[in-house]
Amino acid sequence: MFEPDEELIARVVQQLRRPVTVDSGLDARVMAQVGRFPAHRVGGTARAAWRWLTRPRMVRLSPLGGLAIAAAFAIVALARPDRYSRTAPAGEREFGFVVVAPRAATVSLVGDFNDWDAARTPMQRAGKQASVWTAVLPLTPGRYRYAFLVDGVSWLADPAAPAARDDEFGTPSSVVTVGGS
Amino acid sequence: MGIHSVGTSDVDVVRRVLGGDTAAYATLVARYRDRLARYAVHMLGNREDAEEALQDAFVRAYRSLERCDDPARFGAWLYGILVNRCRTTGARAARRGRVFVRDEAALNGVAHASVAEQTEGEDVVCWALARLTPEYREAFLLKHVEDLEYEEMARVTGAGVSALKMRVKRAREQLQVILREAERV
Repeated sequence: MFEPDEELIARVVQQLRRPVTVDSGLDARVMAQVGRFPAHRVGGTARAAWRWLTRPRMVRLSPLGGLAIAAAFAIVALARPDRYSRTAPAGEREFGFVVVAPRAATVSLVGDFNDWDAARTPMQRAGKQASVWTAVLPLTPGRYRYAFLVDGVSWLADPAAPAARDDEFGTPSSVVTVGGS
Repeated sequence: MGIHSVGTSDVDVVRRVLGGDTAAYATLVARYRDRLARYAVHMLGNREDAEEALQDAFVRAYRSLERCDDPARFGAWLYGILVNRCRTTGARAARRGRVFVRDEAALNGVAHASVAEQTEGEDVVCWALARLTPEYREAFLLKHVEDLEYEEMARVTGAGVSALKMRVKRAREQLQVILREAERV
């Protein structure tokens, strides 16, 4: 006569729960292997901070949000001379220009400083798949109008810079003023 | 029961190890060795493979200890690493064609009338267990032998709670069928 199903499973479980011993040298082998690696040197607070900094985050960006970020980049670019505006030889200063153009295949920086020639200052993606495009240009003191040319056809003013009022071409453009040193 | 640390000392030991006291890791190895060994031996059906998976799990856990978000749950985290190592080792063993090898050393502890009866009974249980698919065997062992809650099992295995419940149910049904057939022979 067979035992009831529950009793059968209980018997199986009872047998499987019996202690299993392993080779007594296992602990020593583990510690020998572990000893080959550098000791951890991470404090609790530093570890928590590092985890917070390196934690993957998902960011959803609306077009408006993208423009806001572009503006923030541009503000940083124009406002922080230590990073985006460096003193160059012969009184020139290097200026960084940043724009967000997720769908663009090419972006050019055009303005008074390069005779509005789209071929002279092509912008570079900040990363392989990045939406952010950048260009760094040495400029002498003066006032310059400029714009971004997307895919060779779309003109885009810099959302982070003042708009140029004297725009004789009828396309949006911005103004940057480079001070003397 | 679940996978709980012993008191709160896992937290202290993990902090010591992360602070540079590598030798303190031996405490964690000794604390979890036997319980994890039981799972590995039953899961892989082979002592040699089980010890390899266990050793590998402990070393991997040490190397990535900084990624243990909650040291109070070190045991559960370690279990997850071992479950993955057993999957890898089991798949490799299956490719080698080794499905089940009787494990003499696992047959300790006499609770039956004789060693012969117990050995035979446990052999049959291990043989039946080895006939389950790895997914069913894993779920059955974690639920009924290691006494984990389904939520804990889900964290350890990466499977959903519903899927795990189904696997445990099927594992029980199949074990009953296999063992009934064995009794008839």
